[in-house]
Amino acid sequence: MKPMPSLGAQRREALYALAMAENMPDAAVLDEIVRRYPQFSRELTEFAVELALESLVEGAADGPSADPTTVSPAVSRAMSLFHNRLYALRQAGEAAVAKSAPSYAFMENPLLDLDRRELRAVARGIGGSTMLVVKLRDRLIDPNTIPDRFKRRVSDELEIPVEVLTAHLEASPTETQGSRQFYKADHRPKQGGRQSFADAVRSSGLTDEQQRHLLSL
Amino acid sequence: MVRPLTKRTRTGALYTRPPEIEIEIRAALREDWRTLRRRLEITDGRSAEHVGSECLVHLLRDAHRKGDDRRMGAVLQVLLGRCEATLKSTIPESEPGAGEMREAVLGRFTELLARGCVGERPEELDFYECRFNRAFQTLRFDVVDRERRRLGRRVQVPRADDGDGLPLSEEEGLALLSEAGRTPPTQEQSALLEKVKEAIEALPADERNAFVLCRLYRYKAESIDPAETTAAVLCGCTGRTIRNRLSRAETKLWRSKEKS
Repeated sequence: MKPMPSLGAQRREALYALAMAENMPDAAVLDEIVRRYPQFSRELTEFAVELALESLVEGAADGPSADPTTVSPAVSRAMSLFHNRLYALRQAGEAAVAKSAPSYAFMENPLLDLDRRELRAVARGIGGSTMLVVKLRDRLIDPNTIPDRFKRRVSDELEIPVEVLTAHLEASPTETQGSRQFYKADHRPKQGGRQSFADAVRSSGLTDEQQRHLLSL
Repeated sequence: MVRPLTKRTRTGALYTRPPEIEIEIRAALREDWRTLRRRLEITDGRSAEHVGSECLVHLLRDAHRKGDDRRMGAVLQVLLGRCEATLKSTIPESEPGAGEMREAVLGRFTELLARGCVGERPEELDFYECRFNRAFQTLRFDVVDRERRRLGRRVQVPRADDGDGLPLSEEEGLALLSEAGRTPPTQEQSALLEKVKEAIEALPADERNAFVLCRLYRYKAESIDPAETTAAVLCGCTGRTIRNRLSRAETKLWRSKEKS
């Protein structure tokens, strides 16, 4: 069975569908794509506004031009990244891919900016529950006990290199925006020890079948 | 023959490049190294010898397949240089974290190129061989939108205010927008449209969305038919809110009747 595309890939697919449409702004096209991807209606609406404004001046002026004889530091870094990634991907070894993976400055916690809807979608994508994803987000699982195949699955779902996810999971558990909320006790809870992956799977409201599957990875 | 694309539409049809791009690629594939190198240095997009970005993506993939590192490196440098120039013009320096965001978009695109070259998810690159600017705009929007949302920021473009506002009454402005895209604009209309675009971009996001949805997409503010898509449905608010935002936007955009 073909795996379901990740949330990020689905969102980009929806945005590309809108971008490739002819004769924007076209309400019929926007309607059709929003109906097809209702989960991304906010993003599609915002992007449709941008496309409509762009269409006002399309073809009126040349795009910005770059001097092809000089290489800026940013382009130089991107070229280096391209060759490193190409090499690593050619090797097809996970270790090689991870070693050269790009670092995105704002991806220290790649799960931090997910809202409820996105948390649920990631949970579905990895065959887990929202609770399990929250445990990953809040680094409540001992990274040494998490199977590589599970990490790979999560990183694929988030569309980030597995090395970025690993770095996040291995950092010390810290309070995230989500974990600061909803305390009912008189005292704020202390960060306790981390659960093993097996314990986390067993205590995250998963069905027996889901647990069996995740523990077999 | 130019290698066909493999990305399919929702109905199963293969994506195809516009004919002029197909012709450009066919010719470029036959060119020797010296000719290509000379053409890569042309920056004037109106020149007949300028190599389009869609063509560059194809040449990059082709050079990789053939193991031609020299050609691949030269094409990559020009392509990434153009992307950087686009990012500098679309993510203003005034935006906090602009440098990081540009680098993130460029990194994402580079990752996409590398994966596409080795055959991992190559279909996504097909968009870039059809309409490069639109595809790159999509990638930029995706990365930047997520980052802005993470930081809880709304996009706000600083207004280049000359103090006079737009030299158009509401009727003149709406007529200009209505004509845009239908007929090729005159030089004067192009200049005016550029100003109108900047003024709309400078509106607060809620007002900008209401204005564009109602005036450019021509959505109704609201409808009694629950099946009808309206600006209120798309913005997740009431029709009254949309009307208020639209009114505020138009007050800011157009020359007031007293000044007319």
